[in-house]
Amino acid sequence: MKKIKRYLKLMGVFSKYSLMSALEYRINFVTGITVEMGWMIIKLLYVAIIYKAGTNIGILTPDHILLFVGTYMLMTGFFMLYYGNFASLPGMIQKGELDLYLVKPVSVQFLVTMRRLDFAYLLPELAAGIFMIVLGWHLAGLPVGFVPIAGFLFYLLCGCLLTYSLFLLPYILSFWTISVGGIADITNALWDFNNMPSLIYGKWFRRFGTYILPVFVITNFPGLFLMGELSPFGCFWGAAAPVIFFLLTRRLWKISLKRYSSASS
Amino acid sequence: MNRYRCVFLMGVEQALEYRVSFLLSMLSAVFPIIIQTTMWNYLYSHSDAAAVFGYEQGQILLYALLANIVTQLVSTGFEGEMNEDIKMGGLNKYLVRPIEYRGYQFFRFLGQKIPRLMVIAPVMVIIIAAAVWQGLALSAGRVSAFLISLLLAVILNFLIYFCVGLLGFWFTDVDKLFGTISIVLIVLSGGVFPMDIFGGFWEKLMQWMPFGYATQFSVNIINGRLDWGHVGIGFLFQTGWIICFACLGHILWKRGLKRYAAIGG
Repeated sequence: MKKIKRYLKLMGVFSKYSLMSALEYRINFVTGITVEMGWMIIKLLYVAIIYKAGTNIGILTPDHILLFVGTYMLMTGFFMLYYGNFASLPGMIQKGELDLYLVKPVSVQFLVTMRRLDFAYLLPELAAGIFMIVLGWHLAGLPVGFVPIAGFLFYLLCGCLLTYSLFLLPYILSFWTISVGGIADITNALWDFNNMPSLIYGKWFRRFGTYILPVFVITNFPGLFLMGELSPFGCFWGAAAPVIFFLLTRRLWKISLKRYSSASS
Repeated sequence: MNRYRCVFLMGVEQALEYRVSFLLSMLSAVFPIIIQTTMWNYLYSHSDAAAVFGYEQGQILLYALLANIVTQLVSTGFEGEMNEDIKMGGLNKYLVRPIEYRGYQFFRFLGQKIPRLMVIAPVMVIIIAAAVWQGLALSAGRVSAFLISLLLAVILNFLIYFCVGLLGFWFTDVDKLFGTISIVLIVLSGGVFPMDIFGGFWEKLMQWMPFGYATQFSVNIINGRLDWGHVGIGFLFQTGWIICFACLGHILWKRGLKRYAAIGG
């Protein structure tokens, strides 16, 4: 408990310094927001197409899909908050910059993956995501109450942990291969599978994306829970997958770190 | 000419420097294709999408398959490096050498495209052959027009981004702004979806603005969406925009150099 408190305090310090730095370079902060808004346009195009076609995807009406894409946007915002740290990992390994972090009395993984937080990427996705979730929730006539809201928030939280664990995995590969661009491209492409609800994909593809490489769990499970469409096993898996993948990532990180050889003086 | 041949070969070598990264990057282009073909197949089999979007199912599927590939082929990435050259004084070494900076960037850009082209070309042939097998009416003239438009699209996109890169003379830190411009241009060029599916305004915009001639125009030649009259007009626009951006680049370069302080280097 004491350890968690310490890490939460550290997280607060990182947030404070990241915000101070963002406000110091205001133009950079504003252009960061515009970049994220550019990506948002692409997500909104998917919603626009669904509304224009006016068709349901399985049990999902366009209003449900609005809620699902809103959830996807919100999760993207949280992911982008610390994504810059993942992206800089291959470069740090290549240049031998991990040395400085190895000697600190804190978890290296935590330091390396959470030290810099980009609020410029979070803000537009957070605002648009919340707006779309609330609008979709209202238009689809989904229940409002303690259990639906608490369940929705719980699976959002699980999704955050799963995103962190699942998408750190490809970057751990950079301890073996120092190439950078391809890893980022493939991670982004995998994330984009959530542009559409998983129900649009075939049965086997959906199973693969739910149980083997659970990208669909991240943005689909909160909405499915809200609709009462999550099976008891689904409810269990939605909570278990983040823990399993977090432990897996932790183990792989420790193994990979042993391969690290400093490149600088 | 010999020096530009060397720059071209250097571009090829640079692209092959990190082979795993290159392959992962190529693989990442498959994912958006899966998402979009799944979505279009679903929409066309569950609604009267042909009437809503104005594309036949075969046309839109071919679009989804080829647009991502064409985007990969025409995409740039040198604008960030140009900004760095301008900001850090790296431009100095090109100014004192008997080589033109735009020519240097162009031939290196072409060289970097060669390995990508070697992967993309067979994939494109397979996709088009499959489309013909499925009933796409294709003539040698249309294939030739597609290839010429593709070559012009590569030149046009290079010139657009060269002008974007030259903004570095006027703005001190434009890295993130490049990101925004790049995303917006990909969307406007029809690299994600054909923009004319969103109605008359977008159709007109795509016809008059330069961006559509970087992706959408080429793909709509091969999928049979454009008749020969529109293909001819399109070529006129595409060539006109190339001349415009070549002149604009020339003017920006001349004016930019007057502002250039040549610090560092």
